[in-house]
Amino acid sequence: MPSSISNFDFERPIPALPWRGLLIAAALVTAAGTVAWELTARSWGYAPGLNDTSDLWADRREAVKPDSVVIIGDSRPLFDLDLDELEKGLGRRPIQLALAGTCAYPNLEELINDEKFRGTIICSIVPGMFFAPGGPLLKNAETALKRHRERTIAHRIGHHLGMFLEQRIAFMKQDDLVLSKLLEKISVPNRANSYLPPALPPYFSTTDRERRTRMSDACAKPGELQDRVKHGWIPLFTPPPFPPHTPKEVLEGMGRTVEERFGKVAALVKKLQARGGKIVFVRFPHSGDLKVLEDKGTPRSGAWTRLMQETGAPNIYYSDHPELIFDCPEWSHLSGPDSVEFTKRLVPHLKAAVAK
Amino acid sequence: MLFNSLTFVVFFAVVVGGYWLLTSWQARKNLLLIASYVFYGAWNPPFALLLFATTALDFWLGARIAGAGDPASRKRWMWASVASNLSMLGFFKYGNFLLENTQWLLARVGVSYQPPHLDLFLPIGISFYTFHSLSYTLDVYRGVCAPTKSLRDFALAVSFFPQLVAGPIVRAADFLPQLVSARTLVTNQFAWGLFLMTLGMFQKIVLADTLLAPISDNVFGHPSPVYQLDAWAGVVAFSGQIFFDFSGYSTCAIGAALCLGFHLKDNFLFPFAAVGFSDFWRRWHISLSTFLRDFLYIPLGGNRVGAARAALNLIIVMFLGGLWHGAAWTFVVWGLIHGLCLVVEHFFRTITKDAAWKETLPAQLLACAITYFFVCIAWVFFRATSFEGAGMLLGAMAGKIPVGQAIVSGREILQVALVIVGLWIVHWRLRDTSLEAALTRKPAWLIGALWAVMLGAIILTQGSGNAFIYFQF
Repeated sequence: MPSSISNFDFERPIPALPWRGLLIAAALVTAAGTVAWELTARSWGYAPGLNDTSDLWADRREAVKPDSVVIIGDSRPLFDLDLDELEKGLGRRPIQLALAGTCAYPNLEELINDEKFRGTIICSIVPGMFFAPGGPLLKNAETALKRHRERTIAHRIGHHLGMFLEQRIAFMKQDDLVLSKLLEKISVPNRANSYLPPALPPYFSTTDRERRTRMSDACAKPGELQDRVKHGWIPLFTPPPFPPHTPKEVLEGMGRTVEERFGKVAALVKKLQARGGKIVFVRFPHSGDLKVLEDKGTPRSGAWTRLMQETGAPNIYYSDHPELIFDCPEWSHLSGPDSVEFTKRLVPHLKAAVAK
Repeated sequence: MLFNSLTFVVFFAVVVGGYWLLTSWQARKNLLLIASYVFYGAWNPPFALLLFATTALDFWLGARIAGAGDPASRKRWMWASVASNLSMLGFFKYGNFLLENTQWLLARVGVSYQPPHLDLFLPIGISFYTFHSLSYTLDVYRGVCAPTKSLRDFALAVSFFPQLVAGPIVRAADFLPQLVSARTLVTNQFAWGLFLMTLGMFQKIVLADTLLAPISDNVFGHPSPVYQLDAWAGVVAFSGQIFFDFSGYSTCAIGAALCLGFHLKDNFLFPFAAVGFSDFWRRWHISLSTFLRDFLYIPLGGNRVGAARAALNLIIVMFLGGLWHGAAWTFVVWGLIHGLCLVVEHFFRTITKDAAWKETLPAQLLACAITYFFVCIAWVFFRATSFEGAGMLLGAMAGKIPVGQAIVSGREILQVALVIVGLWIVHWRLRDTSLEAALTRKPAWLIGALWAVMLGAIILTQGSGNAFIYFQF
């Protein structure tokens, strides 16, 4: 046997093809295809811009200081609150941690259980989302939190490289132009009684590094995009009926989770307040058929009122204040200019609530 | 860092560029070692220390085994290596599992025991690098490999970044000889390596993560019963997902190694065309099956110890093979199903030893379908997170659950069918050949077009893939 090592005579075969030429040809064709796809995306109205990823969220979560003002909740505060106006009014630049399509509870729990935090939380409540017992609404929040907790150096580098590209390439739209989303556009009939999740709304906003999200102009004015977004909300906000054969224990478990959440939130609020922190619950504007649906499904007298009673926390219900009633172009969020005006008008109410 | 990430693209470009620009072979090896530790440390830097500790210990034990004066001492040092490696693996991977099962067992005899929950973070790829390292001392003991005098070379053999965290399980005896003399840059080999990396990424990001994973995740994660068709769609999708995921990683690893001038052996050989379970394990995760064969099955006596003992050996090997995948009884059941199928197949082969009909095409196709059927049944236990979940899904697959839901869309069913039928056809056509031989027979323009299509599809996914399934092992 040789001094060091055994014999090893394995060598991978290389197919007898002109690989150098193939590499160059494949690279050129791919580059041409990529340019063509980019031009197509731009012709469809897409522009370079950041995706609201878990890494972007984790960046903001890391920016939270013990005395920060933090916004949590669903997509409404994401669209409707202007950070510049809040900073002007509250004297401190808030950190945007609201997440589209998300139940705020996991983030509320994580933030308050962070013993260092004794700042102010502005928490949006959409009862149908905040009291979700499970499913994608919680999963979205948990995914972001998991990234915050388990973030590696590789994730951070990848995130910065990703942002560099997203700010230059229009087709990098993870909610719309990735292969999986494009495949969803292929229409194949489903079986009767299929239990399938409704489609998410198309791309209609932009976001920046602070996650300040603005509705696109195309969506803010009447037209095809606005209609598509509008009518996308109705199935999303309509809870699917439980199939008759859902196990009893699953149904009971969901009911228990919802019931327990009131008590858990009240305990969290108390915990935050005990160490000098503050929280304000806010119901943001919504309009049109979506308002009709929400008012019917989750009336104010239900979960909202009970939550406010059990927590005793300051709160702002937009329709109590005429100056906060705005028309949402696509029924759920404010346009960019309206969000600035809305925030200006909301600030005095926030200051009063925080002072309580 | 993940292969399917922008970070890796930049990392690999820098490493490959630097590697081939350096003229000194020693400097190149140093660079590769540093790069491998950076690659690993990018997940969790402290675990790089654990990797180094394992490596250093086995390097030292390898020298002790080789230098021992008598067989008994050699054996003692070898067992010291086995014990240290398996203890570390056991502590990190099976600590809580052992405590929970101890609690359960004690409760059966009326003893109340509340074990502490070990708040352990599983070092990524520990099952793989432990076996990389252990293979060295075992091969030194068997006389297959002489101990290396260079800790740097051995550390590189264990940590070589393409195969570090998810295989293939490259034995030191196969890798160390390649560190003796400088690798040379061969353009065709480099480009072929890039082609393999593209193919691997395509398998992982496009086929596994985009086309199959959503369906299997949905079905396996559904809390209530699903229709028979949905259950089968989910399980069949998972059979393809795990193949493309793991084979994709292995193919990337082989390609990345080739770009650096190293040759790694195949880890998969068209397993969907397996005719029987013995054949399946000659085609699936070959580096693990050969590891278990050489270091467990043969030392147990293999098939030279009578039919009953050979059957027991197979069951033991597959039991441990199942447990290697994860600290859960569902993995053990997966392994036992494979073990039992192997035993039944051996029995069947014995009683039909001279039957010519076994070699006919219809019989082979039937055997292939039966193999796939039982492989899918076993996958249910592999993927399910509980026996209740596995039972519910198997009941749905068998049509024994009268109620259920249709949760897979028409488009998804079509997607799974097209991918899996396509996979079967490709594997069946290539079962007696190799990818290299098959590509050689195709026109160059077709390969170029295929390459561009794969690259285009990868770009379309925008790096939105998941972590590799085998990372958790």
